[in-house]
Amino acid sequence: MEYTVGNVAPIFLAPVLAFVINAFLGRKLPRQGDWLATLSIFVSFIFSARIFGDFVFGKFSTDYFVHKTFTWFDLSHGATVWKVDMGIYIDNMAAIMLLMVSGVAFLIHLFSTWYMDHDEKHGRFFVFLPLFTSAMLGLVLSDNLLSMFMFWEVMGFCSYSLIGIYVKKEKAGDASLKAFMTTRVGDVFLLLGMVAIWMVVGSVSYVDIYAAIAEGKFAGQAVLGISFATFTALCIFLGAMGKSAQFPLHVWLPDAMMGPTPGSALIHAATMVTAGVWITLRMYPLMVLGDITWFIAVIGAITAFGAATIAMVQTDIKAVLAYSTLSQLGYMMIGVGVGSYNAGFMHIITHAVFKACLFLSAGSIIHSVHEQEMPKLGGLRKYMPYTHFAMMCCTLAIAGIPFFSGFVSKDRILGDALFYGFMAGQNPLLAIVPILGFAGAGLTAFYMFRMMFLTFYGENKQHHDDHGHGHGHSDGAHGHDIHHEHLDARQNVPLLILAIFTLGFWFAGTLTGQGFGKVFGAKTEWFKILVEAPKVEKFINSPRQDFGSTDTTSAAKNLPVAVYDHHSDSQTGYAGPNPDTHKIHTAHTIGAILSIIIAFSGVFIAFLMYIKKSIKPLASAFPGITTTLQNKYYFDNFYIDVVIKKGLLGLNRFLAWVDMGLYDRYVVDGMAVVNRVLFKAAKWFDNVVIDAIGVDGTGVAVNLFNLVLRIVQSGKIQFYFIMLVMVLASYIWTVNI
Amino acid sequence: MMGLASYLIISLILFIVGIVVMISRKNIVAILLGIELILNAAALNFVAYSRFVTNNLDGHVFSLFIIVIAAAEAAVGLAIVIRFFQIKETIHIDEATQLRN
Amino acid sequence: MFALILFLMSALLTVGGAIAVAVTKNIMHSCIFLLASLIGMAGLYATLGADFVAVTQIMVYVGGIVILMLFAVMLTGGKDFVSRAQNLLGLAPAMGNKWTYSIGLLVGAVILATNVGLIMNITTVHANTDFATAFPSTVNRIGHLLVKEHVLAFELSSVLLLGALVGAAIIARPKKQQ
Repeated sequence: MEYTVGNVAPIFLAPVLAFVINAFLGRKLPRQGDWLATLSIFVSFIFSARIFGDFVFGKFSTDYFVHKTFTWFDLSHGATVWKVDMGIYIDNMAAIMLLMVSGVAFLIHLFSTWYMDHDEKHGRFFVFLPLFTSAMLGLVLSDNLLSMFMFWEVMGFCSYSLIGIYVKKEKAGDASLKAFMTTRVGDVFLLLGMVAIWMVVGSVSYVDIYAAIAEGKFAGQAVLGISFATFTALCIFLGAMGKSAQFPLHVWLPDAMMGPTPGSALIHAATMVTAGVWITLRMYPLMVLGDITWFIAVIGAITAFGAATIAMVQTDIKAVLAYSTLSQLGYMMIGVGVGSYNAGFMHIITHAVFKACLFLSAGSIIHSVHEQEMPKLGGLRKYMPYTHFAMMCCTLAIAGIPFFSGFVSKDRILGDALFYGFMAGQNPLLAIVPILGFAGAGLTAFYMFRMMFLTFYGENKQHHDDHGHGHGHSDGAHGHDIHHEHLDARQNVPLLILAIFTLGFWFAGTLTGQGFGKVFGAKTEWFKILVEAPKVEKFINSPRQDFGSTDTTSAAKNLPVAVYDHHSDSQTGYAGPNPDTHKIHTAHTIGAILSIIIAFSGVFIAFLMYIKKSIKPLASAFPGITTTLQNKYYFDNFYIDVVIKKGLLGLNRFLAWVDMGLYDRYVVDGMAVVNRVLFKAAKWFDNVVIDAIGVDGTGVAVNLFNLVLRIVQSGKIQFYFIMLVMVLASYIWTVNI
Repeated sequence: MMGLASYLIISLILFIVGIVVMISRKNIVAILLGIELILNAAALNFVAYSRFVTNNLDGHVFSLFIIVIAAAEAAVGLAIVIRFFQIKETIHIDEATQLRN
Repeated sequence: MFALILFLMSALLTVGGAIAVAVTKNIMHSCIFLLASLIGMAGLYATLGADFVAVTQIMVYVGGIVILMLFAVMLTGGKDFVSRAQNLLGLAPAMGNKWTYSIGLLVGAVILATNVGLIMNITTVHANTDFATAFPSTVNRIGHLLVKEHVLAFELSSVLLLGALVGAAIIARPKKQQ
């Protein structure tokens, strides 16, 4: 199959076109152009599906990839080569990702046309939404770090605009700034990493970087006493941490829910946050070379567990989902860190599907009920059956219940983490990764079901308010009647479509993901076969293809159709028999059983607390811990109080002290002392000399001096100009002689 | 007739006329006209040298940059003139002595 | 022959226009004479084989800067539009006075005196310059120079233009009513 400009570019150019038209003509179009944005994403979806079909149903080979470039600009002259290529690099991972992003984004757009209807920001929302999607699609297609970074920044800008779209709300403005600034911290490091890579490789193309890794170009060089590979890998991972909201830089993501819910769905599921994990996966060989995978795993584990604990006490339905996103991103990072490459990637895909669905469901609830505080909700199951169904599927998926997608991906990650922490002979301290991972899994099941029980079960508090029991606020938002939900092509059909894909067998090929009940026959485990860590050796001297030339390399090569081989099921992604296979298998079995038990116990505790009410809810049982959690471990306070107030303001105060204390006291006051001495001297001079010579003499002298100054400092521009020219002329004259 | 000297002499005349305009005129716009003449004299020198001496195009590129800078200078200068006129209601150069006091 | 005629006409236009800029009473006429001088410059560039510079000169200077000048003159016209005094031949200069003109001519004479020697020196060094009648087009090569060797200056000039644009817009913004 051909990959030309004509059938690759529309993937991200169609939404860009929609962005341009909506930005300039949006107000004049019917429905402010939302149909155009949706249509453009559908076009991308069609073209992405074509690529997906070629990779998954056509070639079905692990090694198949398409890499096409064109020269963007060429500044090389003489012997120095200085040129930048742009291009596309599509492998199996990119093909899957493209289909996911465009598909999920299409459903989100479709839902948004319902959600944003009659909203004052309807038009503006549909300006940024397609641009956001196109940036993510472009990022996935990019073959180098530079164009990746451009799309990365476009996404940063779009998220800024979408979060702060309600410009009149002060909190929205603050949240958008926070998101922009926090991710910027990471971006600085990413840029630094790119420059460092450019120094070594002379190119930022993924293919060139892989080749350089295989050729050992990263070895031996050192910056600040650490090896070059570690330095670049760390820089790139710090960039990814900012974008993917990992532990110290996570503070922006929960605030990002200030924007409209479908916007959050796009940020949390399909685009923005997965970009960080994506770049970590793309640079995985560098991470391994730089030996920072343990760091990735630990950061991921801390994020996964910490966010899950915070999510337990949140009362805002969107806040729960936001923290669950953080937690799941932590799992993806654990996956990357423990070497579970394809499970980490699979978790991106499965998480995107169920998290998009969860956010859209939340949007459906919020738009229908006009309430997002869970204690004020309840009993919605009767009124919103379709939303309830979709949300329940997703909750089962995210909690890791068997047969659902979350179980497949998370279980593999946890299995590998278990192996990594206890059996791979690593530093025993790294056992913290699987421990936090499993604990987080239990908490996930608990808080997700807590959210479900509080929202859909129990009694309907909205209804009560309507009949005027009067909790003090029976006006405004509560004056709403809840209508029974009808099947609507824009409201719940997107949810139901997404809900279908929360089933595990789409990804695992088997019903449980653990080997029995095969559904797809020969292509069982297609995900595991197709996605694996890049083998850097095969990229050495990989030929470049121009756009427009016919496929001569990858297509002409008779690539073997991949077959799943249980014995080479290694966690490093490299083929070949692995002596640890048996251990890994054991770890996976233990992990699966353990995670099922943990998930069900989480659900059971939630059931006891919120349905049976036989256990006291968290808040009354552990008030101290709850306060800490509700304040998000005081992280925002830490940033504001310590980093900004103590750090920056302290620096400020220090500078002020230098200015006032040192400068004023010694320099200025010193000058005053000197002046006083001089003044005394002058007085003496005045008394003795001037008075002696005569006051008239002084007057004449002053007048004379004044005259000279008045001529020189005339304030007339032309006089200065004459001076300038004369000096110039005298200079030329002198040189000439 | 068309040697380097003739171009240099034309350029010198332009330069001198520009300086005379800048010194003699009291109208700010006229002074800007003088500056344009001076810049042109410089640009002509560059092109003439690149034609007769160096035989490459660097002089052309330089005069292009001079044109660009002249455009920027004219834009800002005229903006200042207009602003000055709004404040003083005249563009006589001797009125522009605020910094002195 | 054609080159010579072009050179003579251009030189005449340039120098004559420049002198007319200096001596006319009316600032509007000064601008028009500057226009003539700049067109003459473009002709001189053409005789030097600098086709691209010549075209740029006409487009930017004649089409842009002089028009801008005329706008500025018209916006700031008023009582300074025509000088109150007589013109140069009446020995009372336009838009200046006889003192400023005498100083100006004095400075000009100094520059002439210092530079003529310089130019004479140069002409003896590069005396043997033939003149061609046909030149290859320079556009292609200038394009390459601009984006290769001089790319930094090119980018910086774009920044400068942006700065000038923003600065001009801010400076010329009407005063806020307070």
